[in-house]
Amino acid sequence: MKKKIFIIVGDNLGLSRDQIDYEDLEIIKFPVLVEEKEYRESDQYSANWLISKFEKENVVAKSSTLPQKDIADAVERNYRNYDLIIHVVMSSGLSSASWKVAENVRKQYEDVIPIINVDSRQAVNGVGNVLLGIIDIIKNNDDLSIEEIEKLCQQVVENTYSYYIFPDLDYLYKGGRIGRAQSLMGSLLHIIPIIGMMGDDPEGIVSSLGKGRTFKQVNRQVIELINAKMKEKSVSKIKRAISLSGYGEKNKDVAQELMEKVKALPCDDFVMGKPGLVDAVYCGPGAYGVSILL
Amino acid sequence: MNKHKEYLNGLNVFPVPDGDTGLNMVLTIQGAMASMKNFENQSMSPGEYLKNFAEQMLLHSRGCSGVILSLFMQGFAETVANDDFSKENVYKALENGCRNAYEGTENPREGTMLTLMRALKEKYGELMEQEDDPIVIIGKTIPYLKEVLDKTPEMLPVLKQAGVIDSGGAGFVVFIQGVCREFQHNGFGANGLPVPILLKIGETTRKYIAKGLSKFRNTPFAHLVSSIDFSRIQNNRLREILQNVRKATTNLSVNNHVNNKKKLQEKLIDELEEINNLWNPDIKQKYCTEFVLESDKVISREQLREMLAPFGDSLIVLQAGNKFKVHIHTNKPDDIFDKVKQYGELVFTKVDDMKKQHRNFISDDVIDYRRDKSIYCIVSGKGFAEILQKLGADDILCYGKNKPSVDQLVKGLDNLKAKNIIAAADDSDILMALKYAVSLCKSNVFIVESDNPIDLIGMMMGISKDYDIMTMFEEAMKSIHTIPFCGIARANRQVLADSGKPVKKNDYFAVYKKKIILSNPNIEELAIEAVNQLVNGYGLVTLYKGLPSRKNNGLVDRLKEQFPDIDFEEYYGGQYNYNYYITFE
Repeated sequence: MKKKIFIIVGDNLGLSRDQIDYEDLEIIKFPVLVEEKEYRESDQYSANWLISKFEKENVVAKSSTLPQKDIADAVERNYRNYDLIIHVVMSSGLSSASWKVAENVRKQYEDVIPIINVDSRQAVNGVGNVLLGIIDIIKNNDDLSIEEIEKLCQQVVENTYSYYIFPDLDYLYKGGRIGRAQSLMGSLLHIIPIIGMMGDDPEGIVSSLGKGRTFKQVNRQVIELINAKMKEKSVSKIKRAISLSGYGEKNKDVAQELMEKVKALPCDDFVMGKPGLVDAVYCGPGAYGVSILL
Repeated sequence: MNKHKEYLNGLNVFPVPDGDTGLNMVLTIQGAMASMKNFENQSMSPGEYLKNFAEQMLLHSRGCSGVILSLFMQGFAETVANDDFSKENVYKALENGCRNAYEGTENPREGTMLTLMRALKEKYGELMEQEDDPIVIIGKTIPYLKEVLDKTPEMLPVLKQAGVIDSGGAGFVVFIQGVCREFQHNGFGANGLPVPILLKIGETTRKYIAKGLSKFRNTPFAHLVSSIDFSRIQNNRLREILQNVRKATTNLSVNNHVNNKKKLQEKLIDELEEINNLWNPDIKQKYCTEFVLESDKVISREQLREMLAPFGDSLIVLQAGNKFKVHIHTNKPDDIFDKVKQYGELVFTKVDDMKKQHRNFISDDVIDYRRDKSIYCIVSGKGFAEILQKLGADDILCYGKNKPSVDQLVKGLDNLKAKNIIAAADDSDILMALKYAVSLCKSNVFIVESDNPIDLIGMMMGISKDYDIMTMFEEAMKSIHTIPFCGIARANRQVLADSGKPVKKNDYFAVYKKKIILSNPNIEELAIEAVNQLVNGYGLVTLYKGLPSRKNNGLVDRLKEQFPDIDFEEYYGGQYNYNYYITFE
């Protein structure tokens, strides 16, 4: 019998609600602190609002962990109507606190309803890609046990790869998410870094994938990296690609150029991602990239 | 601590969720460690060392967590400055560290690192009744510390709300665990003499004994052997032989029959020789080679084993699905790689020069490898040195005007304390010296045959230390010669351009792909001409200013005026011979 599955995810997923074709879903908004005042994503407080504050007022922004209460409330509201809850969590390598909070909720409800916490090993649109991949599994498989679902979710995680061009890594650094990409910081020569979140990296932290001096160079490198990954995984087609762009006006044309190049690759589904407030905290102005599910 | 840094950062919600607890603790300890190098030449007792270390920690402390940890260390070190590491005094030291940390914190809160410090002291006090060794006692407190750590959210509401344990407290547990682990491996019991010294004692004893046991007895070396603390010789065989040497030399008058003496002498020499040979084997296959081959063409590991066996020894082949992990000692790693590449894709490779590693292991000045991979660049210009360092080179030899000596290069390579090194120079004239230096140094060195500083920048742009060393080397080789550039210099005599046109003395000329393509008495005009000729299809032009033009300004502005659609950047390269290197990207 097909299980009724409810999904919980944070709003750091690079997609808007209307892009997710799944009814039984709750997106919990991350608290964003700008100059010590808390905000959550809304029509007024959007990614572009924050980017504009970065550019004009040089403000410092941070995000907090999803409050445990918000997640527990979402479970409380819904568990009676479902057989299983899946919580897609941002990479525990980036925020062990987020993972810990998710686990606390799972333990709190372990006698009430099974909850699968999926460590996405991703952030921003990578989380969105894992989420859509899991929704595909739910829709396409009628009779799976919890263990089988968990296994398939893990496969989605391990097949999701995200490539980003963050012109200013300082935003990532200040947010404590710089990981291995720290090696790309502090260059005297002006460089454009390519960073990534690789689903087959169990550490789930930001990797340094390359660097270039011009956007043309880095865009070319990203495509080369995607091709190399497809070859390494013996995959001839991308199942889904989700773009990341729109953090201010900066680099719109080069982001567009990359998207055109990605679209030219063999790909079943290309989704134009939506910039989010919490994502803007780490991306900063002019960031762009793409997440692929193989 | 460094290993757990990101984890600790991620727990950081108190007092401010700024995600840097782990980093602060690491920087505090690293800062102290780096400063202790200043005391390297001073003799000091462990107590004095700790006291200095704690002071340095305070000086380098960062953030709340760093300061509190330093205060604890300061109190601890104060008590053990007398070198009394008995279990009772260590308890007093923990007590003092704890008190110092609490008193030094303006608003001490429970549920933080302070609670963990107090828990350590209390549990240690409790366990003292059962154990004598302070290290064992501290080790046994760890499970309890973890229990207390798990309870920190109950003590500090902000942690509970965020659903985390205290990051500083977790850092403190990591710290105590690390200290314990270190002591268990290299602790009090491990005061053994290093292998190179043991081998030297053995070899010197053999040489002396070869001259006769009676003669040996009167040498200063015999006194050394007779006074040696045998508990420090952790090689059982050598300890037994040296004990026999001591016995033989002290009992010479009793056991004085010539034949007996001769036999004993020969036996001891044979044994010492044997042990020396064992530690200095003739390494027939130089490279310890490992790789992972992903292949659908190889049917079985037996097939691969058969194919590779002729290449060397110590062959191990493991199989998981279509992936084969191979280990082999060989003199021809490249031949092996070429061979197996025909059957699939090499997804990992590693080649260690075992002769070098062995030479290092048994040498007087053993290098304690601190890192697996390093990048070493040799450049003339200070500006380039800085640029390359900031791009990730681990060390730079900036040689200025005079090319570096072999000795300088060996020292530079050894100073890196890296098992594998990628080395590259900005001048082909240095290659010979570098190759010789590589044969003398103690690391596996992969020379990238570059011949200008732009190649080095290309190399640094193209490689990542996340790769294994062989891939890094391949990427480095691929990345040189990727940035087109021309050099502008002044003629110190009349020369002929490749077109046949003469370049007058003191005129400037532009060199592109090792050919003189342009000349002009005016450097700015020449630069504009060169850019005009070479910029087609590129969007970014970078000028690296050399020493001869260090005071020249304005060229980049003129170029911007002339070529408004092109981006220009200017950096100081500091090269001696060229006024400018101009790159096109």
